[in-house]
Amino acid sequence: MKIFVLAERDKAIRKLCAGARRLADQVELVVLNERQITPGVADKTWVVPVPADSMAEDALDTIQALLASEKPDMLFVEPTRRMKLMTGRLAARLGTSVVTDVLTIEDAGVSAMYFGGIAHRHVEAVGALAILAIGPGVFGDAVASGTDAVVTLDYVAPAKPITRRSVTAIENSGVDLTAAKRVVGAGRGIAAEEDLAMVRDFAAAVGAELGCTRPLVEAEHWLPRELYIGVSGLMLSPDVYIAVGISGQTQHTVGIDRSGTVIAINKDKNAPIFNQADYGLVADLYKALPKLIEQFK
Amino acid sequence: MAEDRFDAIIVGAGIAGCVAAYKLATEGLAVLVIERGNYAGAKNMTGGRIYAHSLEKVIPGFADEAPVERKITHEKISLMTSDSNFTVDFTADALGVAGQDSYSVLRGVFDQWLAEKAEKAGAEFIYGIRVDDLIVRDGRVGGVIAGEDELEAEITILADGVNSLLGQKLGLVTEPPAHQIAVGAKELIRLSPEMIEDRFQCNPGEGAAWLFAGDATHGRIGGGFLYTNEDTISLGVVATLSDLVKGDKPIYQMLEELMNHPAIRPLVKGGTLVEYSGHLVPEGGYGMLPRLYGDGVLVVGDAAMLCINLGYCVRGMDFAVSSGDFAAETVIEARKAEDNSAATLKMYEEKLANSYVLEDLKTFARFPHFMESTPRIFNEYPEMIKKMMLEMFVVDGTPAAPIRKRMMPAIKEVGLLTLARDGWKGVGAL
Amino acid sequence: MHIVACFKVVPDDQDITINSDDTLNYSKARPIVSTYDLNAIEGAAQFVSCSCSGSDLSALTVGASEIDDSKMKKNVLSRGPEALYMVADDSLAAADAYQTARALAAALAKIGPFDLVVCGDGSADVYAQQVGIQLGEMLGLPNVNAVRSLALEGDVLVVERGLEDEVETLALTLPAVISVTSDVALPRICSMKEILAAGKKPVTIWGTADLAIEVPAATLEVKDIKAPKPAPRKKEMFDDSDAGIADFAKSISQVLR
Repeated sequence: MKIFVLAERDKAIRKLCAGARRLADQVELVVLNERQITPGVADKTWVVPVPADSMAEDALDTIQALLASEKPDMLFVEPTRRMKLMTGRLAARLGTSVVTDVLTIEDAGVSAMYFGGIAHRHVEAVGALAILAIGPGVFGDAVASGTDAVVTLDYVAPAKPITRRSVTAIENSGVDLTAAKRVVGAGRGIAAEEDLAMVRDFAAAVGAELGCTRPLVEAEHWLPRELYIGVSGLMLSPDVYIAVGISGQTQHTVGIDRSGTVIAINKDKNAPIFNQADYGLVADLYKALPKLIEQFK
Repeated sequence: MAEDRFDAIIVGAGIAGCVAAYKLATEGLAVLVIERGNYAGAKNMTGGRIYAHSLEKVIPGFADEAPVERKITHEKISLMTSDSNFTVDFTADALGVAGQDSYSVLRGVFDQWLAEKAEKAGAEFIYGIRVDDLIVRDGRVGGVIAGEDELEAEITILADGVNSLLGQKLGLVTEPPAHQIAVGAKELIRLSPEMIEDRFQCNPGEGAAWLFAGDATHGRIGGGFLYTNEDTISLGVVATLSDLVKGDKPIYQMLEELMNHPAIRPLVKGGTLVEYSGHLVPEGGYGMLPRLYGDGVLVVGDAAMLCINLGYCVRGMDFAVSSGDFAAETVIEARKAEDNSAATLKMYEEKLANSYVLEDLKTFARFPHFMESTPRIFNEYPEMIKKMMLEMFVVDGTPAAPIRKRMMPAIKEVGLLTLARDGWKGVGAL
Repeated sequence: MHIVACFKVVPDDQDITINSDDTLNYSKARPIVSTYDLNAIEGAAQFVSCSCSGSDLSALTVGASEIDDSKMKKNVLSRGPEALYMVADDSLAAADAYQTARALAAALAKIGPFDLVVCGDGSADVYAQQVGIQLGEMLGLPNVNAVRSLALEGDVLVVERGLEDEVETLALTLPAVISVTSDVALPRICSMKEILAAGKKPVTIWGTADLAIEVPAATLEVKDIKAPKPAPRKKEMFDDSDAGIADFAKSISQVLR
């Protein structure tokens, strides 16, 4: 089996190659510039020399030709926006569909999330090439390896490139929640932005990083996108996860159900989170957290 | 009708609102119903049971097509202490005869059917919008306002429920005082239809209505209730607000404890909690009726406080149907005369007064006060009955005294005179 | 200008339950517009009213026959579109991204010339974030995703893409296809007048037989859909009394050690 990996960023390159290694003898990496060449992860690395002022997606024609000549069985893709654009266009050309939110890969196909994790779908690609968008967290602690041959391809420019006016880097908080061993999640139970200070104090007291559910990012804009835990955000597996004021909708809990221990604090005894927790405290977080902070300080 | 101008706009797609809409649309009038919930019934809740006679008049044979739950053929009433329960269970063929029958219903389902009937008849519906205010010109109501959006109507019908903010804005309705409002909470517990029929001893499609006084509300004014639905039972508690706050138990806790009462627990065993809901209930009766009409406006259903709770009998939905019915008849006449003034709309109140609606409310006007002033119903009397029944049924080897003698101590504890006086007052109020 | 907003109709996942064999039960789940598509429709509507008055907006969807639902249709038409087109055919039940995009392309050909197609950020069920992208490719038009704002400058569409580490501004010639994120606009709270007017707007419903092309075979075979077994959890509960909180703290401190 030959698996190609297409990724933009370092973590995904390593993890997807490691995952591919578990399944295939031949693992080949496709990168979009020389900086991304990563030793020790793939048997061959194909470099698409996308010009510095072009969009990464302009690599499409080059990559399509490469796949046609090399004929891998599977293509693992990092699910970034750019990669989704490129592989979506590729899928249209090849007459297939990209399988997204892949959770596991078996002989008879892959399983992927459905309705944000309410269910898993088992699907199999009908055509010769299966294109799978896989988050780096899926492969856990798989280890990459490779023999490191590098080939730089001839760049095929797109016939009708889109005019790019500007590109501006954004400041990210730099927090990598996926590496944290303990995480405290803040949810809708938090009534006001100022109250996050109390949750932060609690997180600090128990030695945890702070994450949150989607509404705190999208509706309230209290926290940056990188801290959102859930189906279209972070999938975590810390040793300890403490959900504070979180009801426990599937869209969030899929992001934490591989945690070692799940602890929840919610004033509603019927909150679904309690079905997925090892320890549950039915209490108003505004009353409980100050007491707990005192205990753990 | 001009674009976006209606003969009638009805605020609220509950029973009163939908019945009015159905009748008006059937008559060919342009009618719009605006409901703040996402579907008819989303904001409604009943124990509960609808006495079918009034809807039967509007939609004959409705029970055959409407999603009613079970026909009630067992009437049960209990006096409950924390460790005992005395129940009277009455069943008779006559309870199920068309025209005098009643059905348990679930409002989320039932109201949607009623709204669909009205829509099929030609009424327009808007969901998910709350009417904040009314268009009022020179004291005459001319339509509704939601946010910055206005719609005009010849006559506006307020069917907006127990705490009618619109009625209050117009000065027709006053905010109900705490002793005339009750709060109810219930759980919907899923059991198989067979289990329900076994546990409540009824035939398929039939069911029980059960009211409890005493321990269900921890001695506070109100009661517990249990209604059998097709594959769920509604188990709940209602308590008068002013009295509830005097005690120390919140209503949801009363409900938890009712579920665990030794007489109730076996009935819900193996059931799964499907839904938890709560609602306010107007309980003041005749004494708390608002003004029912004004220039360009009518008030129907719970908004008009058309409800009675007699302990053994709780009615609101059949009144709501009739009020919607009479309101529609009034609007039809008013549109024919092209006159939406209070003088013409007064016809609505007259129809209510000449019907069972206001007559029944008047007849039982004293009952709420009787309940308020006789807390013994919820405390001493259940205890007294328990003691009397224990005397009657317990055999423990001690030599038995005559029944009369055994029962007297319990009665004497309450006091013969008190018992007589309460009995007299109660009978008088009923 | 003629703009078309594409959306997907999905069962309301709040009412999906799980059967005893772990399969999904949709019986109580009404057909609704997929959440992020409401943002896309709003984004398209705001674009029409702000950037190019005199233009009109249509809405388009494809799916199984049950997507023809009156409440859903009224909802869409209350949000800005002047007309609604639907391809409702059981052959499109559970259509994958490739099939869906082909059906949309065929429907667009039938609707007539357009200047811009706006798609959403991903459907509530599959969330492949792919249909708009495949559609743009099939139509051979300028095609980007992650669009969080759009504006017309002369005859060029300037879009801002919100990417993971950067913000990119592009200028697209028209006609074009864009897939927008939920940041593009917040779905409106419809006014009474909009809801009433919705009932009077034209709805065109086609079957796949009405389209010029055949819907292609599935490119992904769905073997099954099952609810996962949740990881077994202790479910030890504590109440909010002082003793309860103290016991809770004791239990979790052992875990945190």
